[in-house]
Amino acid sequence: MTMLSEVDIALAGEYVLGLLDAAEQATAAARLATDSAFAAEVEAWRDRLSSMAGNTDISAPDYVWTKIDSALPAATGQDVGRGNLRLWQGLTAASLALAAYLGFLTANPSVVPIVETPAPLVAALGSDSGTAAITARYDTQNGELLITPVSLDTGELYPELWIIPADGKPRSLGMMAIGKPTLVAVTPEMRQYLAIGGTLAITPEPQNGGPDGSPTGAIIASGKITII
Amino acid sequence: MTSENSSSSIEDARRARLSDALLRTGQGDRSAFETLYRATSAKLFGVCLRIFPERHEAEEALQDAYLTIWSRAASFQPGRASPISWLVAVTRNRAIDRLRATGKATYAPIDEANEIVDTAPRADAMLFAASEDDQLHGCIQDLDGRDAHFIRSAFLGGATYLQLADAEAAPLATVKSRIRRALIKLRACMEGEA
Repeated sequence: MTMLSEVDIALAGEYVLGLLDAAEQATAAARLATDSAFAAEVEAWRDRLSSMAGNTDISAPDYVWTKIDSALPAATGQDVGRGNLRLWQGLTAASLALAAYLGFLTANPSVVPIVETPAPLVAALGSDSGTAAITARYDTQNGELLITPVSLDTGELYPELWIIPADGKPRSLGMMAIGKPTLVAVTPEMRQYLAIGGTLAITPEPQNGGPDGSPTGAIIASGKITII
Repeated sequence: MTSENSSSSIEDARRARLSDALLRTGQGDRSAFETLYRATSAKLFGVCLRIFPERHEAEEALQDAYLTIWSRAASFQPGRASPISWLVAVTRNRAIDRLRATGKATYAPIDEANEIVDTAPRADAMLFAASEDDQLHGCIQDLDGRDAHFIRSAFLGGATYLQLADAEAAPLATVKSRIRRALIKLRACMEGEA
């Protein structure tokens, strides 16, 4: 583990405080995956500042738990694969964040690629924690899908992109590059799934993707495909 | 000495129980999730009330936080983070996202006449300092009053550098270098280096 400079120590604090702009925040988030000294300093800042938010215990009313419990996915039997269960756990909260991200994109037009004819399909992928933001743009003419991470942290794993069409079954669109845009040439058989209402999702996976073509990690970002 | 040891082993045991509940939640174990909720919801409701003084908003933020914890628990790494810091960070970040999404993330400049005070200006913010543990509070008190206010406004109000600079009518670079210096000083104090 290397020693961090004062600049990096302060950066870890700025990251935890959320002071940075989107690009700086994204750069810092990407660094967490590759720089363990920096990641440890971020955790240390969380510990240091934690009591600023949470040193007072106040009992929540009972109905809060009732609401949380009823919002969880229905209890599942053993027939549901672990990967799928986690996938849907991820979607529950991820969908809550989507509206906020669409608002963010509207307010930041430079994030959305310029519209060409015919209008491409787009998706804004957000995370429940608010730490991930990815834009997707699909050219229906040539089958090219451009994925641009604004911020994304997959820890020590690698981001794999999935399309989840109406049948709810995730299908892999391949691995994404870390920290830079990825252009996916969508195969002819997968193109049918890239349509309005489908969901694009990202999970952290081993370097060569989830074994047997199914996701193993929790969804860290997702968003529905729409048209500009 | 003995009492210190036993209180730290109680703390270790609590931490281990929370880690375990969080890890099992990550595997979709709903009863572990309920255990986790029972053990931590008062603390996290305190966090939500700190950020949303309106009780119903804080309740919604708490609900949102636990659904996020449910979905994110699989990404918790026990070797890397303490469970309670992780839970507080998820809750705080989610609440700040809500604050920003509803356009409520604001920064109120320090009243010049009142500059030396260490409390934040919004009435609901007066309790900020009260929640800090002794070590953090002592170290923040050692900072310049304005820097302390910046840091609390960022953590609890979602203020960014841009908002701080705007509100203070100060150049962005000036605000950044002030806060960076303050962060280095705060860390040194908390690590017992100053």
